[in-house]
Amino acid sequence: MNDKMKNLAWVLALLTLALAGTVGFMLLRAKPSGGDIAVISVDGKELRRIDLGAVTEPYDIPVTTDWGSNTVHVERGGISVTESDCPDGICIRMGVLRAGGGLPIVCMPHRLVIRLEESDVYA
Amino acid sequence: MPKTKKMAFMAVLTAIALGIFMLEAQLPSPVPVPGVKLGLANVITLAAICILGRGEAAAVLVMRILLGAVFAGSPSTLLFSAVGSAVAYALMCVLTALIPRERLYVTSALAAVGHNAGQLLACQLVVHTPGIWGYFPILGASGIITGLFTGIAAKYLLRALDRSGLLDAEK
Repeated sequence: MNDKMKNLAWVLALLTLALAGTVGFMLLRAKPSGGDIAVISVDGKELRRIDLGAVTEPYDIPVTTDWGSNTVHVERGGISVTESDCPDGICIRMGVLRAGGGLPIVCMPHRLVIRLEESDVYA
Repeated sequence: MPKTKKMAFMAVLTAIALGIFMLEAQLPSPVPVPGVKLGLANVITLAAICILGRGEAAAVLVMRILLGAVFAGSPSTLLFSAVGSAVAYALMCVLTALIPRERLYVTSALAAVGHNAGQLLACQLVVHTPGIWGYFPILGASGIITGLFTGIAAKYLLRALDRSGLLDAEK
């Protein structure tokens, strides 16, 4: 194999991996987890546990720790971060985490994670 | 390379890497996925390994990360970027020895994936949420793309440095 072919092979292999990762991510994100319980934690310590199926009126939870402040919005069947004083605001742009499936909402600078759990885990 | 020249090179590379890092920190993330970024400052880490050596490159990297955290980052993300950078640096050291310099982009892409893995590992240890590994496929994919880009950039930088004569032994 000459050098040009070798380069091409390497780039194609790497791009295929990247494509596989992207497809894998999309499949993973769409996969239903069945969890309806939203768990809000900071620094690995659980703060709140909310049954998203049992929410009647939407409400906001202020989460302020040494790392920073976030406002978590809870509605029936969904949870999201609506305000944050973190530098990137990625947690806000991640949108609403719907009951039944989805990857956790993460605010890295504030070490805040909102994930879903099955309702029977702690029942 | 004489010692004084090496020191001057290290100082200049640290300053450039910090500049790139700060500039990049001002850009909004293109996708709402935690940990995705261009990582352009790695062009300097790669170049430093190639022209100065591993130890010198490590010094440049550590200074850039610490100064970067002082000027742009938050104390919380310093841990994640430090662990990610350490993994990427280790991979760069190993791979630059194995892969010829014409294919620096392979080294760079794999190191970028390593950076993302290290970052997630550090994050996992802090937040205790295995679910965040769900982001690894997309982080890895973005690492490959941005790594290819920074690797190509580093290759051109090295070529320009070679041609400039700055690296000539007698000067």
